[in-house]
Amino acid sequence: MKSLTRGHLKAGVSSVRSAKLRSFWTMLGIIIGVTSVIMVVAIGEGIKQQISGQIHHMGKDLITVRPAQLHGSTGLSSNGANLLSGLNISGSLSEKDVTTVSRSKGVTASAPLTITTGSIKSEGVTYDKGFVIGTSEDLPSLLNQSVEFGAFITYNDVGSNVAVVGQKVARDLFNEDVPLGRSFTFQGQKFIVRGIFNKFNTTPLSEQADFNNAIFIPNDVAESISKNTAPTYEILVKANDGQTAQVASSIESALKKSHGGQTNFSVVEGNKGVGSSDDILNLLTRLIAGVAAISLLVGGIGIMNVMLVSVAERMHEIGIRKAVGATNRQILSQFMIEATVLSLAGGVIGIALSFFLNLMLRLTTDLKPVISWPVVIIATGVSLLVGIIFGSVPALKAARKDPIEALRSE
Amino acid sequence: MALIELKDVSKLYGFGDATTLALDEVNLTIEKGEFVAVMGPSGCGKSTLMNVIGLLDRPSHGTYSLSDKAVARLRPNNAAKIRRDTIGFIFQSFNLLPRLTALENVALPLTYKGLSVQKRLKRASQMLDRVGIQSREYFLPSQLSGGQAQCAAIARALVNNPKLIIADEPTGNLDSESSRLVMELLADIHKMGNTILFVTHNPELTRYATRVVYMHDGSIIHDEKTTIGRVAITARRALYSQPQTNEEDDLAGVSSLMKALPSKTPKRKKRASKVAAKPVKRHKKVIAARSKKS
Ligand SMILES: Nc1ncnc2c1ncn2[C@@H]1O[C@H](COP(=O)(O)OP(=O)(O)O)[C@@H](O)[C@H]1O
Ligand SMILES: [Mg+2]
Repeated sequence: MKSLTRGHLKAGVSSVRSAKLRSFWTMLGIIIGVTSVIMVVAIGEGIKQQISGQIHHMGKDLITVRPAQLHGSTGLSSNGANLLSGLNISGSLSEKDVTTVSRSKGVTASAPLTITTGSIKSEGVTYDKGFVIGTSEDLPSLLNQSVEFGAFITYNDVGSNVAVVGQKVARDLFNEDVPLGRSFTFQGQKFIVRGIFNKFNTTPLSEQADFNNAIFIPNDVAESISKNTAPTYEILVKANDGQTAQVASSIESALKKSHGGQTNFSVVEGNKGVGSSDDILNLLTRLIAGVAAISLLVGGIGIMNVMLVSVAERMHEIGIRKAVGATNRQILSQFMIEATVLSLAGGVIGIALSFFLNLMLRLTTDLKPVISWPVVIIATGVSLLVGIIFGSVPALKAARKDPIEALRSE
Repeated sequence: MALIELKDVSKLYGFGDATTLALDEVNLTIEKGEFVAVMGPSGCGKSTLMNVIGLLDRPSHGTYSLSDKAVARLRPNNAAKIRRDTIGFIFQSFNLLPRLTALENVALPLTYKGLSVQKRLKRASQMLDRVGIQSREYFLPSQLSGGQAQCAAIARALVNNPKLIIADEPTGNLDSESSRLVMELLADIHKMGNTILFVTHNPELTRYATRVVYMHDGSIIHDEKTTIGRVAITARRALYSQPQTNEEDDLAGVSSLMKALPSKTPKRKKRASKVAAKPVKRHKKVIAARSKKS
């Protein structure tokens, strides 16, 4: 007798467990759908905020001067914030342009970015992940980035082989955190490390080069090493407070004059390009979120199927309920509530999973997803709606069943 | 004023060549307060009759009035409400919901009446007390014995104070001890003024009833109320002359009863009287008990 009771208990527990398992499978589609919608939007939003955070970091009054080929291109490539859009560059600015820009009215600081190629070696270690940039003393203030150890290049360094390196270079090339005074060879010349930058914030998925991999040398040294073939991709300019627009136009007219009336360059105000990149990102986010939303729909169909099976399995129960006086509407609402609870629970689990994934991504990657509450609320609403819509088919089927037929089925 | 009035009620199943006539122009009137036993061989339409009377099924033809209200062609929802408020069902296989406790099962009809959780659990608990298994409130049906499960089912049927209780072979799955318990319970309920209809294969149990109705092939072939006298007594003699201990014997009893009844084929009559000619001691006791009751 005792073992019989235990057997019954076991059977009961396993039936509850199997119901739970089935509930889980029912919810899975919704869980995946909600999670993916929330995460896609969160990642998109995170990248957006990181980019605009960087712009903010660099100062909104930053002006970027670039070769003309970039001028007519679309948002992604004219991304004003992206300091070295290596992929898109096909022209260059001359040393003379650098001077013209720096002398324009209202310019408080300016620095060229000139990329020089070649292998970097130090005591047998070859460093190929990095790149060498010729620039001037204003760069740290333009980037709002300070030097952690040592000092940046100054006026006095013009023509001398000194370098300031990013943190990754310090670690990978010299294998120490503060390689002050150590040297490396580049293009057959020996350079002495004079300073190490603080860590640059990086923006995932952006085309901006990681300055933690960069070695900065005086611009004229870079030009002379490359025999004036190293292209200046960009000149960063800081204007007097609140005069960004005027300064940008005065730079434009000064350059136009020195280029003999030709406008083979572009002058972009710092935060203008951001708008277009935001648009693209928004569009992409919406597109992917839309695809994820379709998975919600698939989740809904999943709910419908599992509920249909469940209705068929529980026909006898429906018969009993009807026999004791349940009306069609009461049976309908019972199954509707079940479907709604299942999909809503799926939604809540999806939201919880999103927060967990958010945390994991923040801990393990450069991504900093930002979960937005409107999206969470919308996702919840949609999962509720999915439950109601797709739950209604099986619920109606259950409600309309003839009581005696339902009782007869086992 | 009759509680139940069936007029020429027929029920057909299937169509074409496969048509079964489960009820064949049945006329039946049951007054309030009657305790009616329905007997008959398997497949004669007893369950169909119960389902029609219980508004679980609709008759194909004929009229049915319950408390002077025509109910043969009700909409499903109205039928459900009448089932909820005036009819209590007891099934052979208990039909308790396996995932609900005894208490929750008993409270189920009240749920559909819209009572608050507290009220319905309180009432359900009272009902379980009344049927004597309050100590099993939180047991699942699978943890109850057959008798206890049927008691819970009876409590469920009673919880809404229905005028009419319909029990389709309530003792069919029970041993004789539990059967007796269940029948005593039904008799008790009957004493409180309920009208009860029950189907049984066990002729012994008809002693609880105030009236016995015999069915065959979808028709009522004998109704004590309308034919009083010799045939009924003969029939009973036939019944109780067989010692009944198990289901097979029950069935044998029924078939011998059927043979004893005035039938369409005169051949049977002869054989039936043979059976009736060998009365056993026991039947006297039973009849005595019955006459004391009435
Ligand atoms: N759903 C159904 N479909 C077809 N025939 C049925 C159905 N239900 C019952 N029947 C037939 O109706 C007759 C009466 O059945 P039933 O009322 O269950 O008999 P009983 O309860 O007396 O054993 C039987 O011949 C049975 O085969
Ligand atoms: Mg039957």
